[in-house]
Amino acid sequence: MTDWTLCIDFGTAFSKAAAAPVGAWSAFEPAGVRPLLLSPDGQGNAFLLDSAVFVDEDRVLFGRAALARAEEIGDKKRQALRSFKTLLSVSDLERALNANAPATIDPHRVFQMRDLVVLYLAYLLAAVERGAASDTMIAQGRIASRRYAAPAWRSGDSAGMHDIIVRLFGEAEEFRNAAGRRMLMAEGIPLRTISDALPKASQNAESLEMGLIFEATAAAAYSSIGLEGAASHLIVVDMGAGTTDIAALARIGSRTMELPEARVTLKQAGDFLDQVIANRVIESASWARGAEQKAELWNVLMRQMADIKEAVFVDGRAVLRNQGRSITINLRDVEKDVDFREFGKSLRQAYDHALSVVRDDARARGRSEVHAIAVGGGASTPLIRELIQRKAGSVRPRVIARPATPQWAHSRTFAGNLAPVFPQLAIAIGGALAPDSMLAALGGASRPANDRSGTPAERD
Amino acid sequence: MPAPKSKTKPKSAARKRAAQGVSMAGALAEAAWSEADAALAQALVEFDEADGAANAADREDAMARLAQSLTRTARKRGLSRIGGLGESVAFDPAEHELNAPVAKTPKNVRIQARGVTRGGEILEKPRVTPVEQKRRS
Repeated sequence: MTDWTLCIDFGTAFSKAAAAPVGAWSAFEPAGVRPLLLSPDGQGNAFLLDSAVFVDEDRVLFGRAALARAEEIGDKKRQALRSFKTLLSVSDLERALNANAPATIDPHRVFQMRDLVVLYLAYLLAAVERGAASDTMIAQGRIASRRYAAPAWRSGDSAGMHDIIVRLFGEAEEFRNAAGRRMLMAEGIPLRTISDALPKASQNAESLEMGLIFEATAAAAYSSIGLEGAASHLIVVDMGAGTTDIAALARIGSRTMELPEARVTLKQAGDFLDQVIANRVIESASWARGAEQKAELWNVLMRQMADIKEAVFVDGRAVLRNQGRSITINLRDVEKDVDFREFGKSLRQAYDHALSVVRDDARARGRSEVHAIAVGGGASTPLIRELIQRKAGSVRPRVIARPATPQWAHSRTFAGNLAPVFPQLAIAIGGALAPDSMLAALGGASRPANDRSGTPAERD
Repeated sequence: MPAPKSKTKPKSAARKRAAQGVSMAGALAEAAWSEADAALAQALVEFDEADGAANAADREDAMARLAQSLTRTARKRGLSRIGGLGESVAFDPAEHELNAPVAKTPKNVRIQARGVTRGGEILEKPRVTPVEQKRRS
């Protein structure tokens, strides 16, 4: 019977989960990588679970049902709660969790943010259990350990944040057990059930045994697993929607640690690029001169922005149609934008700083290589691709750019089907593959993620 | 006559669930297709627009949008192009398809239409034409 390690990645828009056999790090087989089917309802990508909670008249809805209901109502004053990841990343987490949910999210004014997070996590845990049970390989074994992936906490108190989050997961597990099968029903959970069961769940719960892995470390794990010459030092550039994070990791002996002095966070990322592109189009659209026309064009652009951005950054141009007009957006035009150029400059400076830190550490330990990897939605932008390929000269330690999708994801086992969806599942997969020594906190006991004690210098 | 008792043990709940499970490659393919479907649907509409365009400019616009939709469909399915249009490369019969009959195997060829690959497997070879050797004067 195989023991499995499970990793949950709750992203801003979607949550994902994946499992890998315990010990996969030292005996890697691509076939053992098992992303979980969290939304097997035949609508959309079944591996993605919408991160959403909607408080309705007499019940709470989750996932796609929550988003559908919010859209059906179409009231600007009512919205689904989606920003779990942002909430869980704030420096004063306890205070944020104890705040009352705003009226736009909870018109009854009965929930604190903590309650809604616990309810969503209960839904997520139920979906994860269903996904694991429906997997032919996992169902024949058992889930031996669980982890969740998170960005490196910016407050620096990794242990404190971890303790709060495993407590939330514990309450969620308790509530899930009380709610049973209703947890995954499209009609959601009645408010009366919640008001009965949630306080009891909070009282009776114990922290769930879960490890914490930083997203950068998960990226390092999926990027370097199975490589004979895996580098001891990595620099990871992660461009998400709201921030671009640069982190550096060093593997010393069996442990992986972050080099905190290398960490840089820029407030410009995917959302900023959306605005740059939209502004360039509106500036060049001579026919959209009135405020109303500009607002309408802005909305059209934002609705299609994911596709537009991909076409601009990967193919060099995007063509779209609006009110019978054809609009072309070229990468060259975007690159001329003053704000974009400023962002590029800041990004290069931040990267050079982080690279200098990681190379110094590698050099001091007699290591010969630093691997550079880009992750997140912005990994395919030329700006990021060019960045990680810079300084790839012959000066030691050499910097080697790793592909965003690792070679093993193209294994024949997956018949070419993992690679296209890999970027979305990457962090959950990397978190499941990583050995315990790469975790920022082990299940139960916490230790500071950047604790560098007892890590003597080693040479290749 | 009562039916003979089966000697096989009843399946556990976990094994029953496992038997209902879908193959990982199949589930991943469905996930990729769910994202590719929208782009493919758009491509079909753009094709009609290109086909019925009233003038050359409209046709050119529609063709650009059609190419974009098809490229996006391909990307969502993990397909990528091989070679660059107009590029001159050494001819390899295993990797290139000659677009014209030739009396003699060419040394160098020019890529007329890019090939398509997925995960290292060539699905469609690049179509090429021989590059004429410059004659020495």
